[in-house]
Amino acid sequence: MTGATTSFAAQTPLKETGRVKLLLVDDDPNNLLALQAILEPLGQELMLAQSGTDALRMCLDHDFAAILLDVRMPDMDGFETAEMVRARKRSLQTPILFVTAYRSDEQLFRGYNLGAVDFLFKPIVPEILQSKVNVFVELRRTEQLLRRKAEELARAEQRFRAVLEAAPDAMVITNKAGTVELANSRADTLFGHSREALIGRDIHSLLPAWECPDGGTPETAVQPTSEQRLTACRDDGSQFPAEITRNSFLTPEGLLITTAIRDATDQVHAEVRIQKTNLELEKRVAERTAALRYSNDALRQFAWAASHDLQEPIRTVATYAQWLSQITEGKLGARESKMLATIDQHSSRLNQLLAALRQYIQVSDSGQQALASVDCNAVVKAAAWNLQAMIEERGATIECGALPTISSLELPLVQLFQNLISNAIKYQSAAAPVIRITAKEGENCWIFAVQDNGIGIDPKYFDYIFGVFRRLHGAQKSGTGIGLAICRAAVERLGGRIWVESAPGSGSTFYIALPS
Amino acid sequence: MRIFLAEDNLGDVVLIEEALRRQSLVCDIDHYVNAEDAIRAVEVCGTAGSPVPDLMMLDYNLPRGNGSDILAAAGHNPKLANVPKVIVTSFLQADELAQALELGASCLITKPVDFESFMRDVGAKIAELLKAGEESAQR
Repeated sequence: MTGATTSFAAQTPLKETGRVKLLLVDDDPNNLLALQAILEPLGQELMLAQSGTDALRMCLDHDFAAILLDVRMPDMDGFETAEMVRARKRSLQTPILFVTAYRSDEQLFRGYNLGAVDFLFKPIVPEILQSKVNVFVELRRTEQLLRRKAEELARAEQRFRAVLEAAPDAMVITNKAGTVELANSRADTLFGHSREALIGRDIHSLLPAWECPDGGTPETAVQPTSEQRLTACRDDGSQFPAEITRNSFLTPEGLLITTAIRDATDQVHAEVRIQKTNLELEKRVAERTAALRYSNDALRQFAWAASHDLQEPIRTVATYAQWLSQITEGKLGARESKMLATIDQHSSRLNQLLAALRQYIQVSDSGQQALASVDCNAVVKAAAWNLQAMIEERGATIECGALPTISSLELPLVQLFQNLISNAIKYQSAAAPVIRITAKEGENCWIFAVQDNGIGIDPKYFDYIFGVFRRLHGAQKSGTGIGLAICRAAVERLGGRIWVESAPGSGSTFYIALPS
Repeated sequence: MRIFLAEDNLGDVVLIEEALRRQSLVCDIDHYVNAEDAIRAVEVCGTAGSPVPDLMMLDYNLPRGNGSDILAAAGHNPKLANVPKVIVTSFLQADELAQALELGASCLITKPVDFESFMRDVGAKIAELLKAGEESAQR
């Protein structure tokens, strides 16, 4: 029942279109004809009776707006007829107009005593008769209309009740102050009151925190309020969580508020369960994360210790192989010399690999470090300085555009550019290496490009090359196979991304996106 | 000349001896293979039967301790205050180096992989340090 103002007051003007019935009673058919002729223009249904008996019979079957009754009739005169008409329940209230030729006080007295509403004296003046009868016609019509309106109202009320009862929620209608005017049976069961006990009560005894919704002026349409969670109190004092929505509407008697109330106990239980499950899940995720971090750290420590502890013996082997080859120079055969050289070569290589592995572990270290403002021009300079010997030996050129200053970590950045530059030089084509380093601003990031004119990379290896100890060229090119893994570890450590665009024979461009 | 040497890699001890020989330096070497033994020796340096060395060469990663532990112990022996102390290692992390310098190490010698470099660089550095120590002792 939203905004149902029309259900509470009949605002349409009273207007009747249907015809009403008039009963004309006279023993003289000529008189009847004369009356009929006068009243015809009123447009109502005229019924004629030539005796009191006939009139009574008709009164049993019809409701008349008025009865015009001749006083002087044989057998049963007008007064006797009136008496009997009045005695019947159906015609108890029917207005009777007596038609008489005699104007005697005694007759008038008797007539009015019998419930006559008026007297009409012969000879009849048509205009007077018409206007008098018309009053009763209008009266009748008004009465009919009122009855129909009352029926409509009753039906509307019935429908409203039915809707109220059919609602899935407890419904309570209150005035602005919160006094209950109407409630459905679900409200009774929900709160443990009988309906009579609910009506007239303050809704705050059911919902202590209930408030009249805002708005509700005649000019503004009121929207239902959003759902609200309140504590509700049963008659026995127990409490339960309730979800309510309020909806106000204006009536001639003032603002009324429909409050729909739903027991939210199950929902609250479900919410608590979900919350518990979520907490449990979070706990498990935290435990799993801690376990992973622990095993990750343990692995890193192991890798670190291994790379470190393996370094010592292999360095000693390499050094001694060199020493031995020095002091035996000229004394060994070609085969023995070659064997000694192989020991030296391989132990030196293992030494290099271990150093690279350490660098990789160091750069991917998850340890927290505060970001600092780092000038990337200086970073590239430092990287190039570290590679000076190689750059001079290979005749490499580094063309560096204007690079930004970013919030980052210096060491991983230097390692990143150093490995990219050394990679570009190592895998040079026939031409002298030219390395071009540029940067442009992307969305929330800087995108660096390190472009070379080297041998290029087959696209099918674009992912492969970023793995640890991955090499495409074996012994024909020097390298540990860990340089690009270090680059990726450094970039990931800095919260960025690295990718490559290349084709065999046309150089490679490595792109690095770093947060700005 | 007397050198205090804490080094667990016997191969390196031989290499150091060879480097000294190539520098024509004749030295007595007190050699310790773990940190505990080295610390005990440091504590009694300068007492009867334990002469004060002219140079302390300490490997960093040792069994039962490290170079910094020995440096810390040496810091408590005033007799060793003017003895140059040097960390000789194949690899040292930045924070370890910082700690060693804080505890009185005068420099770091990285053990080269290359034999010739080892002879040349390590030998030259030892000679330089011994010479500097001698000169400061004379003043």
